[in-house]
Amino acid sequence: MANKMVAMILAGGKGTRLKALTAKAAKPAVFYGGKYRIIDFPLSNCANSGIRNVGVLTQYESSELNQYVGNGEKWGLNGVRSSATVLSPKQTEEGSSWYRGTADAIYENLDWLERMNPDYVLILSGDHIYSCTYNEMLEKHIKSKADCTISVYPVAWEEASRFGILVTDKDDQIMNFQEKPKKPISNLASMGIYIFSYKVLVDYLKADAKEESDHDFGKNIIPNMMADHRKMVAYTYHGYWRDVGTISSLHAANMDLLDNKEKGTNLYSMFAGNQILSEDPHSAPQYIGPKATIEDSLINQGAQVYGAVIHSVISGDTRIEEGARCVNAVVMPGAVLQKGAVVQNAIIGPDTLIAENQIVNGENDDIALVVNRKAARL
Amino acid sequence: MKDVIGLVNCFPDPELGGLTSNRTLASTSFLGRYAFMDVAMSNFSNSGIDNIGVMVKNHQRSILKHMGNMSSWVNNTKTGKVTILTNENGVLYPAYNTDLNALKENDYILYNSQASALVFASPHIVATVDYGPILDEHWARDESVTVLYKKVNDADTNFLGGYCFEVSPDGYVEKVTINKGKSKTANVSLESWIMNRVVLAKIVEESKKHDLGMTIGDYLRYAVKNKTMKIHAYEYHGYLRNFNSLKNYIRYSFELLEPNVASTLFRSDWPIFTLTHNTPPALYGPHSSITNSFVSNGCQIDGSVSNSVICRNVVVGEGSKLNRCIVLSGVRIGENVKLSDVVIDKYAIITPRHTIEGDEENPIYLKQGAIL
Repeated sequence: MANKMVAMILAGGKGTRLKALTAKAAKPAVFYGGKYRIIDFPLSNCANSGIRNVGVLTQYESSELNQYVGNGEKWGLNGVRSSATVLSPKQTEEGSSWYRGTADAIYENLDWLERMNPDYVLILSGDHIYSCTYNEMLEKHIKSKADCTISVYPVAWEEASRFGILVTDKDDQIMNFQEKPKKPISNLASMGIYIFSYKVLVDYLKADAKEESDHDFGKNIIPNMMADHRKMVAYTYHGYWRDVGTISSLHAANMDLLDNKEKGTNLYSMFAGNQILSEDPHSAPQYIGPKATIEDSLINQGAQVYGAVIHSVISGDTRIEEGARCVNAVVMPGAVLQKGAVVQNAIIGPDTLIAENQIVNGENDDIALVVNRKAARL
Repeated sequence: MKDVIGLVNCFPDPELGGLTSNRTLASTSFLGRYAFMDVAMSNFSNSGIDNIGVMVKNHQRSILKHMGNMSSWVNNTKTGKVTILTNENGVLYPAYNTDLNALKENDYILYNSQASALVFASPHIVATVDYGPILDEHWARDESVTVLYKKVNDADTNFLGGYCFEVSPDGYVEKVTINKGKSKTANVSLESWIMNRVVLAKIVEESKKHDLGMTIGDYLRYAVKNKTMKIHAYEYHGYLRNFNSLKNYIRYSFELLEPNVASTLFRSDWPIFTLTHNTPPALYGPHSSITNSFVSNGCQIDGSVSNSVICRNVVVGEGSKLNRCIVLSGVRIGENVKLSDVVIDKYAIITPRHTIEGDEENPIYLKQGAIL
């Protein structure tokens, strides 16, 4: 796939509902699954799809994310014919401004796209958890001679009103698009994954830039193309896919790695060429102490567990001290649970210290979140 | 440190029983996620030595596999480099397959470089050495050769068969002996030394006239004995173990399960770099039980594991019990298997309900790819 298709990953969002987790980091940089950051998923999917050039659009709290993306080496995108480019808002002859919306972010980087000169552009969200390749979707886009192909995911009918819903005909051509409809007539939710034919995308972005609009793909670009009767096709995705917008959905998606092995992202069925790629922080081996209890959990390299870990996801460089207890919890990198601490139904943020005998007890439907950077100094 | 070359000397290459039957010690699995050579390479890299040569004696397949694209240990991937130095003639004439001959074969690194000094390290000696201050002292004293040693007080039970030094008050090696375990205290050699490039070039030239089976270590011991060269001894403090036999491999691997010991090898300011494999975190099933063990990423453990070292991508089935085992990567252990004091080489498969029990004195080794 020489420069047939390039990917642009929208990674500028704050993810307000993730509260303190995104106070100092963009949502795509949030940790997940003991080892990963959310953006590892779209970037690995690109690498596994053979996409060689990826632009990552960052804006909110971008420095940590920019550093993480770097030259794309973590996903092998630093080869002779591949690249990862961080695209942050910039100053130009016309002045400078922040990205005004998802479409504007791409518009502001048309110069990058022009240099890449692709036939197709894949637009992705940097904050979705799913493992797939985009090749089948591209095939469908080419075969059906579409101007735009949108990836859709069948959601439960009662939840359909929370999503952008697409109505399709028997050939998967999109007939109608409803943004968060009160009475949905379809349950196919847009995943925010689009393949555009390059020239068409450029035309619509340029036109939209002149308008007073939200400069948003879902609200502006797609409806404008629909109005012009452009050929819009839906591609139905059947695998595991999560947009973790809230603390409880982030917690649930972590627990899916334990509970949902058949349906969820089975990290263990993956062989080279189909793995989730990530950074290796060069931490020491994972050590489980003499009095530890480990059940039904996912624990990363670099963790030291002396206490009890039950149905939990534990990241690297963490320490669960003797007598500490971790149940149904997510513990992010560098966190420390001191002696006798109890953490239940909770997410413990990066480098967070849970002091001796401290109790963090969330409810199943109200997951507790603790974020302090106190363990960074230990 | 642009004017220093680090050399990982894989020539001493002690055997670790079956583990080294088709690989070198340098590329043998260490604590589940490393190869022994990683420690030496990381010491160079952490010391700012970015020009690394790996002197390969044999089994280069295994070493090349571990080194991947060779960039895992260098600080700068353009100005730094890792070079493989093999002795091609040595393959045909094993008696002459020595480190000194390997340098002769690859003498371009001596003549084609501006390095003023070369640092040698041996993978079977595991230590965390910051060569920065040692090089500073080497240069400040204007030495031609500096060797590293540690004063230990457990030489009666450890470091047996290794080299020891008698050191003069002004810091020179007076005598080289072999530790036979007769005394508790000894100055144990790290089999690591710093050598000025011109001195090494001279030794390489000179050795062409002498015994072709000579090693650099032989030459230095000869020089001490005949007082032809002054060799400075530098005292090292820190973690030191000599993994020179299968027995010691097992013993010292398990010793590192003790957090107080492990903390002297794993320092946050001194990471050990290795080739990484993008494996997911270890997954423990609802009925698993793990105590006092190192477990690597990619493992799926449903059984019980105690006092063991488990490498990457190992599967332990439900109802199985492992005690005092070292399990190398890719091993599959079925359900209700009982294993104690067993070392299992890569990709072996143990089908359900097997029981294999060694004891501390006589551990059992199962070879690579074995199917039971």
